[in-house]
Amino acid sequence: MSKELEKAGLPVALVSAMYPVAEQVRANRIVKGVSIPHPCGDPSLPQDLDTRLRREIVQTALRALESEVTGPTLFTPNMAVSG
Amino acid sequence: MTTIVHVVNQFFAGFGGEDKAGMSVGVIEEAAGAARGLQSQLGAETKVACTIYYGDNYFHEHSEEAIKAILEAVRSQGAQALVAGPAFNSGRYGMSCIEICHAVATTLEIPCVTSMHEENPAIGTYRDLADPRVFCLPTTETAAGMTDALKALAKFVSRLARGETIGPALQEGYFSRGIRRLEKTDRSGADRAIDMLLKKINHEPFTTEVPMEAWDDIAPAPPLDNLKARNIAVITTSGVVPWGNPDRFKTYRNTHWRKYNIAELKELEPGKWEAVHGGYNVAYMNKNPHYGVPLDALRSLESEGVIGAGKLYPAYYVIPGNQGSPAVMRRVGQEIAADLKKDNVEGVLFVAT
Repeated sequence: MSKELEKAGLPVALVSAMYPVAEQVRANRIVKGVSIPHPCGDPSLPQDLDTRLRREIVQTALRALESEVTGPTLFTPNMAVSG
Repeated sequence: MTTIVHVVNQFFAGFGGEDKAGMSVGVIEEAAGAARGLQSQLGAETKVACTIYYGDNYFHEHSEEAIKAILEAVRSQGAQALVAGPAFNSGRYGMSCIEICHAVATTLEIPCVTSMHEENPAIGTYRDLADPRVFCLPTTETAAGMTDALKALAKFVSRLARGETIGPALQEGYFSRGIRRLEKTDRSGADRAIDMLLKKINHEPFTTEVPMEAWDDIAPAPPLDNLKARNIAVITTSGVVPWGNPDRFKTYRNTHWRKYNIAELKELEPGKWEAVHGGYNVAYMNKNPHYGVPLDALRSLESEGVIGAGKLYPAYYVIPGNQGSPAVMRRVGQEIAADLKKDNVEGVLFVAT
């Protein structure tokens, strides 16, 4: 799906915990998600830290959209924001 | 004595080129055009009962009627197998050959063989369909290789017509469909894997038992400059939908997508949304749908001006991704891309589970 969007000229930041698969299928802007059942956050964290982590993931995705890439590139959110 | 039918486009039936591409489906009650060449390769044991033809454009503009007419014609012949093509590198012809073979194989349970060049775009469809009764052989790029192509088709279709079991693609030479079959062997998986590993370490050639699918590279779309002036949309395959699943998504193999309004929302309230997906434990997502659609984070970034005010697309897109076939997901991607372009969206945040 994401490749069809890129073909249409839309940059896609793909947040996925299965980033090796995303690389294998040649997605271009890949953002490392936390886990398959909860890519954007971590339910084991207190709510405020979970919210902060999610924000970091979304910001990383936005940064990916602003980045020039030449092929599959992995962007890693800074997990330290969640303490 | 076995009988087969041969399906060809108007050109290879001998009617003419582009000016005749609008011809509807017709039947010649003998081997005609390319089918005559096929018959001469078949010998006396296998007979081409009839030649079915259609215009290249007609097929794609009236595909339902065309397939219906072809199925009727094939059914009335009581043939044991079908040949379509060869289509060489003609995409339009190749696609119709694959579609006809698939329709005949599934509806009439008759095995089919076609052939074309490896770069024919229809090969992708052939692989996606992975129909156990449809085989596609390689040809040259152009009709210069017609004689060899007919020879190969004749040999293959005679075997199909006799009900012979066809071996794996690598042995038989047809394009792989990615179908895996159980096979008996006297050596355990561990033994075979160690063998392969040793060969790999010693830089010796080995053949994997589980080939990985090859994917095309797509040139990356250009990055966004001046992010806060850009329209951004969210797409997710997590299966987060309004509570009650109003559009009846299934937990697997979905074929449609929807978009749900978030224009007035600051966040996704638990209990108003649920995740429909058979591939992961949806408990976390149900408790906090932001794990799939991070609206809370997007709104806070919007209030700070990182994302421009009103620049977040007023709906998010969803299809639960579990067991989605590559062909369906490609189509869904194209449809969503067209919808986004229509509304001037410039960048996508895609959350995949």
